[in-house]
Amino acid sequence: MQEHENGKMREALKLAFPAVDQELQRDLWPLMLRRMEKAQRHPGVPWYDWVLAGAVTVAFVFFPKLVLLLAYHL
Amino acid sequence: MNQHPYLRAYMAGIAAPTAFLLVALAIFCVARFVFQLPLPIERVIVVPLIVVPNAFGLWNMLYLKLRPHWQTPIGLHGALLPFFLGPIGFVVATGLGFVRVGAHGLTAFDVINVPYWILVIGPFFAIAVYYLVWKYLVGFLNREVGIG
Repeated sequence: MQEHENGKMREALKLAFPAVDQELQRDLWPLMLRRMEKAQRHPGVPWYDWVLAGAVTVAFVFFPKLVLLLAYHL
Repeated sequence: MNQHPYLRAYMAGIAAPTAFLLVALAIFCVARFVFQLPLPIERVIVVPLIVVPNAFGLWNMLYLKLRPHWQTPIGLHGALLPFFLGPIGFVVATGLGFVRVGAHGLTAFDVINVPYWILVIGPFFAIAVYYLVWKYLVGFLNREVGIG
């Protein structure tokens, strides 16, 4: 009797909650590949930015008062 | 991710100077408590704490607004900001009395003398730093919040 009622309950639940579609709606791998290619295509630091960063560092060393100017304005 | 782009631009903009504020505050504290400079931190900190972060946020919102019409690189856009922040900072500093204009230069906190010839290279230095900060830091944050 208990088994019978459990079975009926299972059937009722199956009817009330249809099976979830677990398959992917589309292939996500091309999207992933595009993102990876985009990340690889991101350019590195150009030479003139290295020069600029070096010049700023040299200016810090020779004119330490500029540190206060930077601390005040950034 | 397309919701509230200007809010995200503002938050990405204020993140960089807010993080640097810790460094600035450390520099001011070291100057005040280690080197005994008569530095009124509560007055000096007004510009780095209030003006600069909000200016960065609003400037980044402006960048987002102008981008469809004016394709300027973010580094150059950021390099223009010192032209506004410099005079504002100078006016606040002189108004609050911790920078005085003298015959041969500026005197900060009655201790630090900054000759005028250093002020000639100061803007170039500020433009270079702002260019690098905006290109790499704010640009990175913009990409992270999906507006880069």
